[in-house]
Amino acid sequence: MGKGGEEFIMKSPDFCYYEALSIEDAIKFKSNDLESVILAGGQSLVPALNMRLSSPSCLIDISKIKELKNITKDNDFIYIGSAVTHSEVMQNKIIIDHLPVLIDVLDMVAHPAIRNKGTHGGSIAYGDPAAELPAFAVAANAEIILMGLNGIRTIQASDFYHGLFETDIQNDEILTSIKYPILKDNQKILFDEIYRRHGDYAMAGVVANIEILNNEINNLKLVFFATGTKPEVALKTSELIIKDGYDYSNVKNMIKTELDFESDLNSNAEMKLHLATILTNKILKLMET
Amino acid sequence: MVDITLNQNSKLGSIDRPNSYIGRSLTRDGAIRHLEGGGKFVDDLILPRMVNSAFLRSPYAHAEIKSINISDAQKYPGVIDIFLSEHIDTVCKPWIGVLSHLGEMRSPEQSPLAKKIARWQGEAIAIVIANTRAQAEDAIEAIEVDWVEKEPQINMETALDKDTVVIHKELGNNLFWTRTVEQGDVKKAFKESSTIVEATLDFARHTGVTLETRGIVADWDKSEKKMSIYHNGQAPHMMQHIIAKHFDISEGLVRVISKDVGGSFGIKVHVYGDEMAAIAASKILGRPVKFVADRLESFTTDIHARCHKISGKLGVDKNGKFLSMEINDLSGIGPYSMYPRTSAIETNQVLNLSGSPYIIPNYKAVGTVVFQNKTPMCQYRAVGHPIAVAITEVLVDKAAKKIGMKVEDIRKINFIPDDQYPNKTPSGVPLEDLSHQATMNKLLKIMNVPDLEKQKKLDLEKGILTGIGIISMCEVTNPSPLFYGVGGAHISSQDGASIRLEGSGAVHVSSSITEQGQGTEAIMKQIAADQLGVSMDTIRLTLGDTDATPYGGGTWASRGAGIGGEAVLKAARTLKNNILKIASAIMQTDIDTIDIANNSVIRKNGGEGISLKKLAETVYYRGHEIPQGTNPELIATSSFYIEGIPFVFTNSAMGCQVTVDQDTGLIKINKFWVIEDCGTQINPKLVEEQIRGGVIQGIGGALYEECVYDDQGNMQNATMADYLVPMACEMPDIIVDHVITNSGRSILGAKGAGEAGTGGAPAVIMNAINDALSSMNKEVTSQPITPEKILKAIGKI
Ligand SMILES: Cc1cc2nc3c(=O)[nH]c(=O)nc-3n(C[C@H](O)[C@H](O)[C@H](O)COP(=O)(O)OP(=O)(O)OC[C@H]3O[C@@H](n4cnc5c(N)ncnc54)[C@H](O)[C@@H]3O)c2cc1C
Repeated sequence: MGKGGEEFIMKSPDFCYYEALSIEDAIKFKSNDLESVILAGGQSLVPALNMRLSSPSCLIDISKIKELKNITKDNDFIYIGSAVTHSEVMQNKIIIDHLPVLIDVLDMVAHPAIRNKGTHGGSIAYGDPAAELPAFAVAANAEIILMGLNGIRTIQASDFYHGLFETDIQNDEILTSIKYPILKDNQKILFDEIYRRHGDYAMAGVVANIEILNNEINNLKLVFFATGTKPEVALKTSELIIKDGYDYSNVKNMIKTELDFESDLNSNAEMKLHLATILTNKILKLMET
Repeated sequence: MVDITLNQNSKLGSIDRPNSYIGRSLTRDGAIRHLEGGGKFVDDLILPRMVNSAFLRSPYAHAEIKSINISDAQKYPGVIDIFLSEHIDTVCKPWIGVLSHLGEMRSPEQSPLAKKIARWQGEAIAIVIANTRAQAEDAIEAIEVDWVEKEPQINMETALDKDTVVIHKELGNNLFWTRTVEQGDVKKAFKESSTIVEATLDFARHTGVTLETRGIVADWDKSEKKMSIYHNGQAPHMMQHIIAKHFDISEGLVRVISKDVGGSFGIKVHVYGDEMAAIAASKILGRPVKFVADRLESFTTDIHARCHKISGKLGVDKNGKFLSMEINDLSGIGPYSMYPRTSAIETNQVLNLSGSPYIIPNYKAVGTVVFQNKTPMCQYRAVGHPIAVAITEVLVDKAAKKIGMKVEDIRKINFIPDDQYPNKTPSGVPLEDLSHQATMNKLLKIMNVPDLEKQKKLDLEKGILTGIGIISMCEVTNPSPLFYGVGGAHISSQDGASIRLEGSGAVHVSSSITEQGQGTEAIMKQIAADQLGVSMDTIRLTLGDTDATPYGGGTWASRGAGIGGEAVLKAARTLKNNILKIASAIMQTDIDTIDIANNSVIRKNGGEGISLKKLAETVYYRGHEIPQGTNPELIATSSFYIEGIPFVFTNSAMGCQVTVDQDTGLIKINKFWVIEDCGTQINPKLVEEQIRGGVIQGIGGALYEECVYDDQGNMQNATMADYLVPMACEMPDIIVDHVITNSGRSILGAKGAGEAGTGGAPAVIMNAINDALSSMNKEVTSQPITPEKILKAIGKI
């Protein structure tokens, strides 16, 4: 009663806090307590707790686990540990040298204060349909590495997202790292989004993975975000563009038949379709230069 | 930015004398304290035996409460008690939000907590008192309510239709208030007009979004029968009166303390049911109770504002002279009129202020205010101004374009000339000391309109839509007793200041004005030091404590400098005179030969003076050294209110340049210019901060902010992620400059500067955007002007 101090600060439902010592330790804790959840940077989880949208039994803090905080590279892939923060990714030498487009992408993710806490794995695992990283991972043909009671498994980013905030992570699993193929010389990833305020989730965004051969588009993968319930690959539209080149009305119709657009507070489905078309237009123009 | 105001008020003495602080951009000391994290806000306060609270709130916009079962919740850990309306009503009398001087207002009685029927989503139903906020929230989830949903009345446009749900049966329909203002013969004048233009504009609901949410700690001391209230409000003495009245406590035994306040914007000057319930809980329990709103509570229970649909008509003759203006305004205010200011004032300001910079001999304005099942609406920064200024300035632009005149020229020929004051608004409200001609001329000069026009043409050739907008406006500041007091509300239009010289030579000032982050402390100190002749570091200041400051109105309606500042000036002059009398007795010289400068009484013709420290020591400790019969009064108190007119108006001219992206509908404000005339500037830097901050809040209303509701009355975007406030990255450079016409109503000559930016920005942005769209013959008429609205207007979606 009237003790003061921390007791007065809490707003969320009561929970226990567990600082995991290793990946195995976290997995063990999680599989023993199915009501517990992983705490990474807390930038999405903690507001949800304070708004009482969820009431987990325990938060398993993985942000101090060393193995999750590395960025490494071999001949073909870059591996980003799930607990690496957005700011750390942006300042990392491997990323600067081999995947600089990710820095441009992260520059659009929230603001510096949030990027100092929010993690790469947290954003991929959370799977907000308007978030940049899930779409980037899908477009970059990344693989998601998960670890659970049965050991390690790997899944294509495009198969990882099932629906609105629904992913393939199983109850006992932790996302440990994201494996990005190193881009070939004739390959580029281009990115653009339309937002009302810098740092907000986009009204619509696109990530394009492009391969050029003899000055022609040889391969194209367009992935849209903030348009539907998850990152969406526009396969047929991509093929159409490779075949016939860009044509506003044609591309617009194609995107419309291929993708499901969902209205949100900032733009209705019609607006999102329009913006997705505009973005495709801009990306292709960018490619020409 | 200017360091010293160019046109010094001659009543204040020369700017190059020692200790001349009025007119200088001194850094305010409070800023450093806050930057260091030293602010002390309501939520920082922890009192012995204090308990926390949280509210069960209605999840529905309109629903009957068949029954409430609190027995399970009461057993939750940490819960001390749970109160419903019937418990709270035993210690708190209900209120009615009406005033008597503006015609009939009809609003029902309101209690702190809803009884039987909840009338907006977020209305408080039960207060849970627990040791911690988290425990109180846990218990809320265990309260069982048997709700029966009722059809909500959401749309203001159908509020008065026959088959619409009536929110308060006893009133018969959903009408709160209506008023018609008429000057001249509008009908006849429209007949005589050679050109008539019309417009209908929509303004969405938005809210104030203070950085610090509403908060209160109520501490009922049974032994003294004294209620102490720590409140982040704007008007401590008004709250003192209201709490005394409704809780049946002698007014002198209510103490209201309002120290650091993290922004208020008019949000925190009203009586809120949840705060009253927290006070009631303290009175019942006999222990301190804290309530601090979370962000969701802020969005659904802080007052909202705007929510207007206005149509207007302007008639002009062949030369572009305005003959007649008519407006019809509809506004929806939620289910109750707020107490004690009422929810009629925004509409009333729209009726009063439309057309106010111009001579318009025939004017008619009709306002209708209706109830809705949404969050209550009331006065927020620049009450009514954005609507009045936008309808006026949109019509003026339309008239100019229709008759082929430049938008600046039509304004110039219709302004009330600067040398023809006192004058009146088209609605008949007295005006004085304004400068529309001078501000517009200065604006056009610094904007360099011909250059902007050239650029616009070049842009258009490249397919870029650039637009330029200008406006003129009046801002209501410094209200007199004719604003609220006359209507029966105990809202003081007077402010008081007390100033004393202490034994150490320090000067202590107290004032009934409060600080909400805008720099009130700094200007009060500047006025006191300047008028007394002492250095800034000798001044200490007390604000926001009904036990410690003189009685007065507090901070609202841009009145701090003009009214509170004048009281400080008068008190400082009286104290100075007292000091000089004592000094002349001690120094054996005529009072006319001495003055105060640099913390000392000096001889004007040179020679030895006496420091204030020494003088104070003599008075306080060695009074026997002073000739007998000298009145040793080292303290002075003064009061001030505006006499003879309802308000001291100020005026400004604003311009902006925007680019509209035809593909995305995004609007970029490239540059924004303001010429402000607020009379004497006590601290030009703080004036400019007020203007810029105000413009940004206006940009919020124009482009971003909206409380989005679904058709069942659920607010859809009640988080800081979804409700878009303007952010630094999108804000333009805002160039501020001044014309200075001192108010003749005071020695200080200061008017207000807090609200012009918010009042004018929406209109000038709308004009600029419509200028950009004019090449396509398109326009937008609804705020916030979102990308979606732009794309719809130009037929892209
Ligand atoms: C104001 C604001 C603006 C933002 N704007 C953007 C934006 O524009 N774009 C954008 O993409 N994001 C934005 N974000 C979100 C931000 O990028 C977060 O960093 C991210 O969503 C979650 O990362 P986190 O590390 O904070 O995860 P947490 O909040 O800790 O966790 C989020 C969820 O993922 C789960 N989780 C986290 N890590 C793992 C893991 N390794 N394995 C399994 N499950 C895991 C948690 O259990 C939880 O359910 C914004 C956030 C804020 C607060």
